Amino acid sequence: MKYMIGASVAALLSMGSIAHAEDVTITIWSLDDENQPAMNLAQEFSDMDNGITVDYRMIQFDDVVTESMRAFATGQAPDIIAVDNPEHALFAARGAFLDVTDMVAASDEVVAENYFPGPLNSVTWDERLYGVPKATNTIALYYNVDLFKAAGLDPDTPPATWDDLVAAARALNDPDNSVYGIAFSAKASEEGTFQFLPWAQMSGGGYDHINTEGAVHALETWKTLLDDGLASPDTLTRGQWDSTGTFNSGNAAMVISGPWELNRMVDEAQFEWRVALLPVPEEGAARASAMGDFNWAIFANTDHPQEAFQALEYFASQDDRLFPEFGQLPARSDIELPPTGVAPKDAALQVFLEQLQYAQARGPHPEWPKISKAIQDAIQLALTGQMTSVDALNQAQASIDAILAE
Amino acid sequence: MMTPHLNRIYLGAAIVFAIIYLFPLYWMYVTALKSGSEIFAYPPTFIPKDPQWGVFSHVWDVRGMGRFIWNSLVIATGTMILVAGLGTGCSYVLARYRNIWIDVALFLVLMLQVLPASLMITPLFVGFSAVGLLDYPRFAVILAVTAKAMPFFVILVRATFMAVPAELEEAALVDGNSRVGAFVSVVLPLARNGVLVSAILIFMQAFGEFVYSKSIIQDVNLQPASVGLNAFMGPNTVEWNNIMAYATIYVTPILAAFVLLQQRIVAGLTSGALK
Amino acid sequence: MKRIRSSIIDGVGFDLVLVGIPLVFLILFSGLPLVYNVLMSFQEVDLFSLGEVFRPFVGLKNYRALFAQPEFWPIMWNTVIFVFCSIGGQFIVGFGLAVFFNTGFRGSTFIRGLFLVSWVMPGLVVGATWNWILAGDFGVLNYLLSSIGVISENIFWRSDINYSLWAVIITNIWLGTAFNMILLSVGLAGIPKDLYEAASLDGATAFQKFWTITVPMMRSTTGAVISLGLIFTLQQFDLFAAITGGGPANSSNVAQYWAWELSFRQYDFARGATISTIMIAVVMVASVFYVRSTRHEVRG
Repeated sequence: MKYMIGASVAALLSMGSIAHAEDVTITIWSLDDENQPAMNLAQEFSDMDNGITVDYRMIQFDDVVTESMRAFATGQAPDIIAVDNPEHALFAARGAFLDVTDMVAASDEVVAENYFPGPLNSVTWDERLYGVPKATNTIALYYNVDLFKAAGLDPDTPPATWDDLVAAARALNDPDNSVYGIAFSAKASEEGTFQFLPWAQMSGGGYDHINTEGAVHALETWKTLLDDGLASPDTLTRGQWDSTGTFNSGNAAMVISGPWELNRMVDEAQFEWRVALLPVPEEGAARASAMGDFNWAIFANTDHPQEAFQALEYFASQDDRLFPEFGQLPARSDIELPPTGVAPKDAALQVFLEQLQYAQARGPHPEWPKISKAIQDAIQLALTGQMTSVDALNQAQASIDAILAE
Repeated sequence: MMTPHLNRIYLGAAIVFAIIYLFPLYWMYVTALKSGSEIFAYPPTFIPKDPQWGVFSHVWDVRGMGRFIWNSLVIATGTMILVAGLGTGCSYVLARYRNIWIDVALFLVLMLQVLPASLMITPLFVGFSAVGLLDYPRFAVILAVTAKAMPFFVILVRATFMAVPAELEEAALVDGNSRVGAFVSVVLPLARNGVLVSAILIFMQAFGEFVYSKSIIQDVNLQPASVGLNAFMGPNTVEWNNIMAYATIYVTPILAAFVLLQQRIVAGLTSGALK
Repeated sequence: MKRIRSSIIDGVGFDLVLVGIPLVFLILFSGLPLVYNVLMSFQEVDLFSLGEVFRPFVGLKNYRALFAQPEFWPIMWNTVIFVFCSIGGQFIVGFGLAVFFNTGFRGSTFIRGLFLVSWVMPGLVVGATWNWILAGDFGVLNYLLSSIGVISENIFWRSDINYSLWAVIITNIWLGTAFNMILLSVGLAGIPKDLYEAASLDGATAFQKFWTITVPMMRSTTGAVISLGLIFTLQQFDLFAAITGGGPANSSNVAQYWAWELSFRQYDFARGATISTIMIAVVMVASVFYVRSTRHEVRG
């Protein structure tokens, strides 16, 4: 016990000697761990001799909104938060986030014109800026070249349409060796919406008109993949990261996922893999893809808006490190991404950059979680066979209409 | 009482039951020792082909587990003391009388615990924040967990007090003891085993507490091991062997203590048979 | 002043203090949060008014909206199945084991103690481990079942709407067996041995002794165990979060998980609180049941 007290006193003293008396402390909450950008950048910013110390808290993906809302409602909110882009509007529309339009206009580091329109749109509410995009991502089709060759498919012409995709999955499916044709995620969470919405969008639908003929066709295609055993039944309860895990271990021949998988795949996959654009409904159809990743925002009730914005400026100034060091894509068009020297990763990057041009934001709408839930319910009801795809999507449309009408 | 032959049959059956029942625990240990690809292998291997013993020290260092475990100990100890302090006397009185007010009190103790912690946390957080308890987060968690653990303790310990013969207490009162004196010097010593054991069970429960700690304790340095475990169980998890290694380090000391103490624990709880 | 003091040391005051302090504590840290929940179920709540107590009242609107949701009755039915099967399973397995260990063969105390490990394991760890065991494509449970010939193809415990609820029930039975067994052991140990001896002299069979002595003598213990079991089962949340997330398509969703989902996934705190309030009402009834069961107790 005595030792414990001694140790904690020593710890207190050493902390005191680092911190300057006039230091401002800002709190940052984000989901990044030690291998991801925010935690490292926050540490670097804190270590700089600028009179600002950062108190960083890692927070689970699932907890971001509730933890921060609870904290905000009771005056305990952090200064800066990283929030998933479709949820940005929920906060911005209610004035929980600081309007940074003027700060951005005066800043040399954060220049609105440099950002891709999708991510920028997600931090915008009522034509004002309420945050800065942190990074961006989208989804595309990964495929196992070795398995393609073994199944007699040409790895140079990956599936381009939905019919091609189903046919390829059928050819690749090999239950005797525990290989599924394809993996994706139809989980009843934001991940399910994230994966399904692009399918609806490229067939002419959208979150506000989800029961189009094309969307029904999309859901039917998913259902075929599951009913015919071309994808694991666990697709219904498994997230994208776990699904991709089965691809990496050779138990799925294709997977629909995003660039956040690249570093892990380079490490784990014992086969040749490539990335292709997301297949479209039929040849020549419009492309679409999901737009993911987080935004930075400053809470409106912060005591240190200037210092907090300084931190965001620092993060933005380091955007060119996102891809080489952390495998994430900056949400900006003005950053050249130099080759990393890892061939499959560099090839994949080009595909993702092209796919990114078709990425569409979810929303923005302050009731996004409810809209998303309606879509998830439709997916799950149809895929478990409790409703036809048409009925399920009609029901979702009715719920969404009610939400949009409010 | 029992023939050696029958004894062996019973013992054999008991061991089979125990093996089935403890399988999940075994699976946790085995998964911790497997390499990444072996975890996903089908058919699964029941004994790791190439046990990764280094995983434990790796996880301990990378995750800074020492600090987490210390915080878990603080929270569990605090909860145990508070629950025992508040609950023992309460159980004694609830065992001593038999009337409508006792019924009401029992009813309250039980009923107040109906909602899961995940639904209680918002109002508690709001309340703690209003009175400034969030500045002492571990203490706040102890208070919340104590409220949660109370009914279990009260019901167990009340059963223990029921087993203490009323005549002994009456005799002590006749001998000139005050109520306090009779309680402390006669009744409590007789119920000691049951109280201690129930307190240990509460300690073990509190050691694994998660929901309250996660929301109330925002400073990483004060978080318990459950929150530390959760931090790498997010949607982007593949490190199942590391997670299981973490879980192993987390529960093994307490399991070991438990296996050493268990004979006394069971005996303590069943000491109602004394009379 | 002096009278109060002496009453506390040597009178009813002593009892009042011993019961009063914990009750005040419980009312502060459990009662008030419950009231907050009940209050919210009659109010219009959003994320930004969480910190307030007085919000616009909307009467029974939240209740009507909740009842109108198509998933309401299926989820309530799931809750009933979950509660009954979990409690029933835990009780039967726990009782069987308690009787078995109560025969007092050599080694019984030691092995009985091992069954308490599920009590010691944190919910998070239990959930993660079982999640792993129940996995569809590479889970060990499927492997074991197919190698002894019970199933011919893998069961997707977490993703098949016919099994998902049962996956959680099985895990919950495993988890709850420990406390059922230990409380029932306490009760069994409290039955005077001479009752059995007298019955033996009268020529009663083991079966008759069980029905005429064990069962009636265990009534109050059973009441306590089942009431606690009800509370633990209704509080069970970690397992749903870890194993099925209530899915797929709500097939394994139950009231307490749904309440959390509405509150913390769709940020509809009022409807979440409405479900909580319904649960509180149900448990009040169950608590009366427990309190009545204590009527049969006699102090030693």
